[in-house]
Amino acid sequence: MIYLENLKHVYKDAEGDDITALDEIDLHIKKGEFVAIIGANGSGKSTLARHLNALLLPDGGKCTVAGLDTADEKNLWEIRQHVGMVFQNPDNQIVASIVEEDVAFGPENLGIEAGEIRRRVDKALAAVDMADYAKHAPHLLSGGQKQRVAIAGVLAIAPECIVLDEPTAMLDPKGRREIIKTVKKLKEDYGMTIVYITHNMTEAMEADRVIVMDKGKISFSGTVREVFSRVTDLEKLGLEAPLAAKIALELRKAGAGLKKDIITDEELAEALCR
Amino acid sequence: MLKDITLWQYFPGDSFIYKLDPRTKILATFIYIVAIFFAYDPASYAVLIAFAAFVIGASRLPIWLVVKSLKPVWLIAIITLLVHMLTFPGENVIYTWSVFKVTAEGLETGLKMCLRLILLLLFSSVLTFTTSPIVLTDGIESLLWPFKRIGVPAHEIAMMMTIALRFIPTLLEEMERIIKAQTARGADFSEGNFLKRLKGMLPILVPLFVSAFRRADELAIAMEARCYRGGEGRTAMHSLIYKARDYASLAIVIILAAVEAFMRWGA
Repeated sequence: MIYLENLKHVYKDAEGDDITALDEIDLHIKKGEFVAIIGANGSGKSTLARHLNALLLPDGGKCTVAGLDTADEKNLWEIRQHVGMVFQNPDNQIVASIVEEDVAFGPENLGIEAGEIRRRVDKALAAVDMADYAKHAPHLLSGGQKQRVAIAGVLAIAPECIVLDEPTAMLDPKGRREIIKTVKKLKEDYGMTIVYITHNMTEAMEADRVIVMDKGKISFSGTVREVFSRVTDLEKLGLEAPLAAKIALELRKAGAGLKKDIITDEELAEALCR
Repeated sequence: MLKDITLWQYFPGDSFIYKLDPRTKILATFIYIVAIFFAYDPASYAVLIAFAAFVIGASRLPIWLVVKSLKPVWLIAIITLLVHMLTFPGENVIYTWSVFKVTAEGLETGLKMCLRLILLLLFSSVLTFTTSPIVLTDGIESLLWPFKRIGVPAHEIAMMMTIALRFIPTLLEEMERIIKAQTARGADFSEGNFLKRLKGMLPILVPLFVSAFRRADELAIAMEARCYRGGEGRTAMHSLIYKARDYASLAIVIILAAVEAFMRWGA
């Protein structure tokens, strides 16, 4: 669904020097896939996300979404209907002062007729379990609820892919769980393609595939198990490996005969009990 | 403390007036205000008062609420009355106190002025009490639409109002947070003379503005990601439709204005 070929992004810093934020990015995101992108601050993961719906354009290489080149300005609005985007701060992406009015914002921009907008809004609010709050004022909702409204706002545009740029960074643990639950539901029940940017490793463990970014390049990638069992590589990049994987590594170093790909607490407990 | 500020006077409820199209209510308010300025003799004022009473009755708003809406102007009303009473030139002096003369004409003009002010406020408060801000914004956008041709940015004005209404509570919350943070650092906002207090506001306003600009930037990106490209080709989930009651209401207000005009110039 999304192809990135040798993608490069350069921007100018305050002194006017060229900074390469992304370089040599080759990535293919398949339809229906749940991809997590992790990396330390400044590794380029948010920049990468903004290329996926043409908020940023490549300075080199190519980005194709559903067969449409993002560099072609004619494709801009179609691309944004294919790929929706949810940002970090829920407060700064809600436009209207009533929940359902905000969800309707996207379809209204597309010029869809009123009855169809109504159907989409109701469906989107039901998908994120916020139907009961349709008439509420967003500023009175909790962080997790606001972020779910933001997700509904994107769903109402009916995209196939949804990019979430650190959607839980400003939420409390309860809000985080709500968002993860919603995202998993979108993948499983609606078959949506999910690109999930985070630096929370527990959240990344829900994905089908994990991509690790470092200094504007893809450092390594693979399944959750492949990535999270590479404890030393992750720590070198300033990322926290799962506790179970870390303990397993230390135990192996001390001579315990444990498998190399232990990443969850349950697996560790099972291996230790044997 | 800041949460107590009534941001909008909307008072949720249900009645004939609530159900009217926002455009009807805005136009009716304008026409009524024009009618107020037609009013001339006591009889025409009586008609205006009766009509305002009828509308307030039909809105089913609690009386205390409507009366409370006069709070910000009662002082202005009294000053208007006094100024007219004491300075209006007239023949029939009814009371003299040193250099001041109160004339019957002055008293009458003062009272009329006061009454105009009160009626204007009462009637427009019915509009704001019975119309939610978002509906009112839709109404304004729709009414401004014909003026697009002469360069009035109808959609942009409405979008700005929508976003402003959406962010007022968010920014107030933020302001309270900043005040608390600065108080914790030893800032004092309650002491000193006016100038000193004004200076004290600076450490609140600077972070508030910086944050507002950052928010605006993020909101713009989020809106673009949701396919926003101005008012061109946009549709609305709730479209405004004129119903029979809207035509009827407008007709009644126009008749009122005509009656007032006739009472002044007709005879």
